[in-house]
Amino acid sequence: MLNQKSSVSKATIKPADIIIIISACFLTVWLYSVFWFNDSLPGDAVSLQIQIADNPPENYSLDTDRVIKIEGTIGDSLIEIKQGKARFTHSPCRNKFCLFHGWLSTAGDTTACLPNRISISLKGKTSAYDAIAGGK
Amino acid sequence: MKQLEFTTTHRDHLIALLAALAITIHIIESAFPSPLPGIKPGLANVITLVAFMLFGWRTALQVSLLRVVIGSLLLGTFLSPTFLLSLSGALLSLASLVLVQLPFRGHLQHQPGAIGYAVIASVSHMSGQFLVAWYFFIPHPGLFKLLPIFITFAVLLGIVSGIITQFVLNQINDKKIS
Repeated sequence: MLNQKSSVSKATIKPADIIIIISACFLTVWLYSVFWFNDSLPGDAVSLQIQIADNPPENYSLDTDRVIKIEGTIGDSLIEIKQGKARFTHSPCRNKFCLFHGWLSTAGDTTACLPNRISISLKGKTSAYDAIAGGK
Repeated sequence: MKQLEFTTTHRDHLIALLAALAITIHIIESAFPSPLPGIKPGLANVITLVAFMLFGWRTALQVSLLRVVIGSLLLGTFLSPTFLLSLSGALLSLASLVLVQLPFRGHLQHQPGAIGYAVIASVSHMSGQFLVAWYFFIPHPGLFKLLPIFITFAVLLGIVSGIITQFVLNQINDKKIS
């Protein structure tokens, strides 16, 4: 049973260990550079979905930069689409939470103006649901 | 009533012993709060590693499957997302251990030590869990922002559990246990 025993004796750190640890560190650094410091990484957002009150949501392409004027419950909101991103630029509401949210840039990003009953979110190619929660 | 009889081999006893140890550690560990969901020391994997390095991958596979299934039954997470994450992590980490060992077949004296294997196991465990979590439960690209953090912890905790594993192996060697 203990045929491998001789090979796992005393030696604490072997050359192979050092190679493994160094490559693990490189992997980590690489992951940081890809997922944290790479703004061009597209969140594969393809369209902007706007829902006004109880109406069915409408989709707008992100390809062309423009400002969309939306007539909400209490007034007009302006939504700007620029370089694949979207944001509220004007809103008649009091708190302006929708404006403070800033740019929506990746698929799944969502913001809403509750007083004006407008919600916008970026849609990707997939994702029929946001998440599945599971207890422990 | 006819009495059931089982014949058990030395190997069965060994696997049962290792699995019991792993399950105990697994359950004790789950009682501690974790800073981020998904990050925990993974000390139960020390047992899997010991099994892998002393007795080979088959024993390690049996021990870690028993640990995942029985541990989840005892914790009440059987077949829940937590269980799937645990299972996928365990399977991928063993698969990577086997892959890393492959080129050293025949000259095992050059194979990595406990620390190297532990880092491999820990990083692949984390990646397996992460991919399953992303693919099945949270299909949101934003999740990948967390991946570097998870892997950082995996590397650090892997080194720690590797040191513990080496310590355990030395003890076994010194005392000629089993």
